[in-house]
Amino acid sequence: MQAMVNKMRGKKGQLKTKKTGSFLAFNCLKSKKAQLKIQQMAFMLMAVTLFFALVGMFVLAIKFSGLKETAATLCEENAMMLVTKLANSPEFSCGEAFDGETNCIDGDKIMMLKENIDAYEDFWGASNIEIRKIYPAEAEKVCDIGTYQGGDCNTIRLISKNVSGFDDKYNFVSLCRKEYIDGDMYDKCEIARLSVRYNYNERC
Amino acid sequence: MKDVNKMILKKSKFGQEEMIGFGLIIVLVAVILLVFLAFSLRNPVKENVESYEIEGFISALLQHTTDCGNYRTFHLSIRELIIDCGQGEVCLDNRDTCEVLNSTLSGILEQGWKISGNRPIKGYQLKILRNDVVDQVIQKGNVTTSYKSHMQDLGKSSTQVLFTAYY
Repeated sequence: MQAMVNKMRGKKGQLKTKKTGSFLAFNCLKSKKAQLKIQQMAFMLMAVTLFFALVGMFVLAIKFSGLKETAATLCEENAMMLVTKLANSPEFSCGEAFDGETNCIDGDKIMMLKENIDAYEDFWGASNIEIRKIYPAEAEKVCDIGTYQGGDCNTIRLISKNVSGFDDKYNFVSLCRKEYIDGDMYDKCEIARLSVRYNYNERC
Repeated sequence: MKDVNKMILKKSKFGQEEMIGFGLIIVLVAVILLVFLAFSLRNPVKENVESYEIEGFISALLQHTTDCGNYRTFHLSIRELIIDCGQGEVCLDNRDTCEVLNSTLSGILEQGWKISGNRPIKGYQLKILRNDVVDQVIQKGNVTTSYKSHMQDLGKSSTQVLFTAYY
């Protein structure tokens, strides 16, 4: 009887040992899997970081390659905005001296401004401001005080710096002045083109 | 052992699902980046004619002084000439106001909107409407599908000036 009990105990012990062994093997496998998983995760994180870094570098490279063009576009936009508002600014506009309409430039004011342009040279940030009568069509005659008073000119160059590489921005304006006929004064307005070129180096 | 195999199989399936998920995220991120790139790299469209040019042109055109006078003034502006033309009046020197208006407008348009050669402007059209009926039309060049136009009401006699530039 005792011998049988002992045999049984032995078998139970064997069973216990077998069970514990497979559990350890499973744990070991699980641990290896976890390590693999961590490794996988680390690689994946590295890959994702690398991917975003590359994309970022690509975007930056493209962005910076167009930086000069963007600056030029900004300059053009500035010139466009300036040309739309310049005719109605106090230094240019007809105000109450004429019918008080929009896009009306007082020629006399402009000539006086031209005489004192040194004080205004950097005021608008433009490298060129020019007003040219478009009708009737005539060869270019630049105005000074003498020719303007005689009505023998068609172009007023207010600011004229030599800047190349940018297109002028235009707007149509009405260039008005007071004229006399037989002692009677009347308003003479002529359609003209106001052109502005922006100074890239200084303001943009 | 069977249990272990089952668990490995289950884990492998989980791994596959994770891979699909990751792939989907990558695709999603790539699509978002592409859209962002497309928007940020899109160049601003350069207009051949700006709206302010048309508005400025009509405004300046109406203020232009002509050599036609009447009993009020020796020199009528185009705005006044349009109204006088509608009333069938003549200049002080007996010229027809409509003829003066037509010739002045044609000259200004020709100088202001040159369409010859490789210029961006392909054509233009100026209409004078009275009581919503077209009274005078000056047209030159081709009529295209790209255009910018502006209408200005003169206030008197329901007269309007409509200018369209084709590019």
